[in-house]
Amino acid sequence: MAMEYTEKYRDGRHKTWKDLWIVRPIWTTFKLLVKTTIHRPITVLYPYESLWNPDNYRGRPGLDFNKCIGCGMCARMCPCTAIILVDAPDDEGKTVSRPQVNMGRCSFCGYCAEYCPTDAMTVTPIVELAEYTRSDLIYGPRRLAYEHTTEGMKVKNEVTLYSDWKEGRETRYNFYEVDRPELNEKKCISCKKCQKVCPADAITMVEHGKNEKGRPILWPEVNSDKCVSCSRCIDACPKSALHMKEVY
Amino acid sequence: MSDEKKVQIPTATEIAEGAEVTKEMVQEYKTSGMEMDKMWITMGPQHPFSHGLWTLKICADGEIVTDADPIVGYLHRGWEKEVENRTYPKIIPMADRLCYAASMTYTHLYCMTCEKALGIDIPEKTKYIRIVADEINRLQSHLMWMAAVGTDLGNYTAFLWCSREREYWMDMNVRLCGARSTTNYPRIGGVRNDVYDIDPDLKDEDHSRFLRDLVRCCDHFDKALWDIIALIDNNSTFISRMVGNGIITREQCANLGITGPAARGTGVDFDIRRDDPYDNYDKVDFDVPVLTACDSYARYMIRVEEMFQSTRIIRQAVEKIRALGRSAPYRLKVPQNIPAGRTFCKLEDPRGESMMYLVSDGTDHPYRLKVRSPIFVNVSSSKYLLQGCRIADVPVIMAMIDMCLGETDR
Amino acid sequence: MMVYSSIIDWVTATWGTPVVLREFYPFADYNLPYHISMALWNIIGGALAWLINLLFPGNPVSEWLINPGTNNVFALVIFMIVIFLVAFIAVLISLWEERKVLGRAMDRRGTMIGMMGFLQCVADGFKTFMKDNVYSRKVDNMTYWWTVSLVIGTSVLIDCMVPLSSRWYVVNYDAGLLIIMGLYALAPFFILVSGWAQNNKYSLIGGIRAAEMMISYEVPMLIIIATACLLTGSMNIGEIVAAQKDIWYMIPMFVGFVTFVMCATAEAERAPFDLAEAESELVEGWQTEYGGMKWGLIMLADYLRGSVSCGMIVLLFWGGWNIPFVSLDYFLGPDAVNNFLYWLPVPELIFLIKGWIAFFLMIIIRCGVGRVRTDTILNLGWKVFMPLSVINLMIVLVLKVMGVY
Repeated sequence: MAMEYTEKYRDGRHKTWKDLWIVRPIWTTFKLLVKTTIHRPITVLYPYESLWNPDNYRGRPGLDFNKCIGCGMCARMCPCTAIILVDAPDDEGKTVSRPQVNMGRCSFCGYCAEYCPTDAMTVTPIVELAEYTRSDLIYGPRRLAYEHTTEGMKVKNEVTLYSDWKEGRETRYNFYEVDRPELNEKKCISCKKCQKVCPADAITMVEHGKNEKGRPILWPEVNSDKCVSCSRCIDACPKSALHMKEVY
Repeated sequence: MSDEKKVQIPTATEIAEGAEVTKEMVQEYKTSGMEMDKMWITMGPQHPFSHGLWTLKICADGEIVTDADPIVGYLHRGWEKEVENRTYPKIIPMADRLCYAASMTYTHLYCMTCEKALGIDIPEKTKYIRIVADEINRLQSHLMWMAAVGTDLGNYTAFLWCSREREYWMDMNVRLCGARSTTNYPRIGGVRNDVYDIDPDLKDEDHSRFLRDLVRCCDHFDKALWDIIALIDNNSTFISRMVGNGIITREQCANLGITGPAARGTGVDFDIRRDDPYDNYDKVDFDVPVLTACDSYARYMIRVEEMFQSTRIIRQAVEKIRALGRSAPYRLKVPQNIPAGRTFCKLEDPRGESMMYLVSDGTDHPYRLKVRSPIFVNVSSSKYLLQGCRIADVPVIMAMIDMCLGETDR
Repeated sequence: MMVYSSIIDWVTATWGTPVVLREFYPFADYNLPYHISMALWNIIGGALAWLINLLFPGNPVSEWLINPGTNNVFALVIFMIVIFLVAFIAVLISLWEERKVLGRAMDRRGTMIGMMGFLQCVADGFKTFMKDNVYSRKVDNMTYWWTVSLVIGTSVLIDCMVPLSSRWYVVNYDAGLLIIMGLYALAPFFILVSGWAQNNKYSLIGGIRAAEMMISYEVPMLIIIATACLLTGSMNIGEIVAAQKDIWYMIPMFVGFVTFVMCATAEAERAPFDLAEAESELVEGWQTEYGGMKWGLIMLADYLRGSVSCGMIVLLFWGGWNIPFVSLDYFLGPDAVNNFLYWLPVPELIFLIKGWIAFFLMIIIRCGVGRVRTDTILNLGWKVFMPLSVINLMIVLVLKVMGVY
């Protein structure tokens, strides 16, 4: 059984007398001809019929505008720099920053959906994206909306900690639950930039006494429940006082 | 312009009467194009036999090929340089683009290299999922190769039948990773999604519908492949063109660095999956086909047998995944930065041994990432493979190399 | 010269006599396509003459138009068109058949445009027709243009020369088979020269392969044809067909039939013997430098030759336009002209359907096999087909000596 095929055809001149040179392959094709004439061929008449695709099929990205917090994780992870954050008015007219996808650059890797901390970005099964101009290929935040989002389109980003796994635990964390920014107090100049850029309002500036000039010393305090570990505060810090404390 | 030639070539009767033939005369005779000369034929870069953009220059003496010279590099994208400017996770989708027929193997290799550099081990379930994914891609790649063999031998039926069977594995790929060809599935420390999460509306949560369909697909494929074998192996027009040509010896194999099915067709009993196992390949049971015939047909048979073995591996791996259950971890959290060091990792590609050499410097992007593509090495043997064959055999012999330009030119 | 007086004259003069008995009738016996074209011309010419006579009474043009000699000339022109159109449409149907059958055998649909995909041929024809006439500057002009014209021309000629029945023919004489075979075997020479003329290495190899191939299959094929002639005792196609009225030659000459199918496939340059245009190694073989409508016509010529091959199979082995034990005297008998529906093309359709069945055989062979190599076809031709055809000849000789035939 192990290598049935190799055993049967090893010498290459097997049973030609039995196969009658070319009769067997012709008979095989003829059988298929009869079968496909009576039933239908396996091909799909594409514009009229379409293939079934599973929920996790990676077409263009879809965006739930109100769920998005504008953390920029998609833009950060995009390997093709297809995504940029743009200002867009939300439902109340307030200007918020939301991703815009250039489908001409997109490579359909699905990273934006995978690394989205709020599952606002999803994969969608839409693949018919032909347009007449290149500028039509740029999908703004509102155009990215997709109404039939199912649970399967939101790519889970569950991770297990290495230490947990070594100890035999099988706890799965959300990718964004574990890492939190950490402050090096000596470097902090109390500039509040981290608080301004934080998309989740997780940072509050807490007063820790006053300095010699009498101004308050403000250190950011991260609300662990709200934080999505998007690293924006770390990027914004002018003195590199913040760094991501990675947990394995 | 003078009608008179510099050197008058004596006719046969004059030579018989004693006319002298000098070296210059012979030179003139040769350059005047009267001689039966060898002919260099440039096949490619746009040619039906070259599956991709590459050129094969062959020197033909009538119908017999006396010399061959492969030229690759038309698809060079600067892959190795470009990854130096990217963070480690962003290289994964790029690694997909190395090989379009079996994209998962290179992604797998890259993730394996990074894990080795990080010094971490990955969960059992991930290893088996990666085995399944690898074997699906091996089947895809081999089926695509078999389809190409069909067209190279002038039969379009084999092409479409193989494409049809490949489509089932493509569907499995789509369900596993969400994309047909550029899978982007392995991650450093795990895989993108759990196989149990693929059909979320499942009533019985402990049984993955994907795994069930995978086994069904294996069952179907084992039957369907015999149909294709009936078309190709029982056919004297195919067999007569594959048996006994494109011969390359075991010693030449070693000297040229040929790996993979091409080497196993010459009696080299080596498969990384078995002899230097990675990712739990040592815990599944499979055979490595080795033939000593050294010809195109041996290489063909090796690949066909590998397809049967792949379904065997998939079945076992599915059993193992089922035994591990739904809750077993599939993805580990890994640090963004890889500590400084040099890492070397290798894996059995459908086409041979592909290797990666990573020089990391402690930052979140590699200092250097070298890819060793099996085809880049294998295609260099075309001179030895093609010498003495006929022009009609060139596509057949080169099909047994299974060209893939994405990884060759990088 | 007849004087044109009125339309009544015309009708009585031209429609009264049977076509066979008219002046200038070019054939020995009844010919249906000539009759059709004569009837067509009678309508067209009569209408023209009548119209012109209405405008200019007593003019010489109307008299000229109703002249029997003029009638014959114009009828022959229409005759050629009718013969060609029927052959052409039969070829288009076989092309459609090939595409559909190949598609189904490969688990796909084949052509899908209009009339179950038949109109795809028309679309392809228009597409190639619209293409630019591109050719290399360095080709040898005379041979480049002439050889391909001759390949196409001879293919059309022989396809029109295959009789569809004993009343549907162009010429009917004793060496009919020979002239078809002679013209048929001409193409490889043109292909060789054409491959040489194109200043392209692939074309050169393709052309030489065509010549190389021809010497291997032509000889057994001719032996088998000679055997069939021997069995009949005549080279006249009509007599060969009449001789196998009840028992097809496929039965006594089964070995020859199998060999002939292979040789006919090679003659038509179809897979597995299409190595003159082997697309996997030689880009398009000897047709590489012919683009646009030139290529389209070459393709048409290929299929014409394919249908001639099928026609030969039907004529030599499958009893031509006859069905065993069924009398077609109603259509083909000596007094058939007096029958009511004698003009129904039943024998012609029988012939064509048999031809399409033979073509189906070739298609299904094409589905199941790959392309052979030049040395393989030489080996096959000289070491397999040749002895087989000689064995076939022996069997026929024995049958002849025993007095079975």
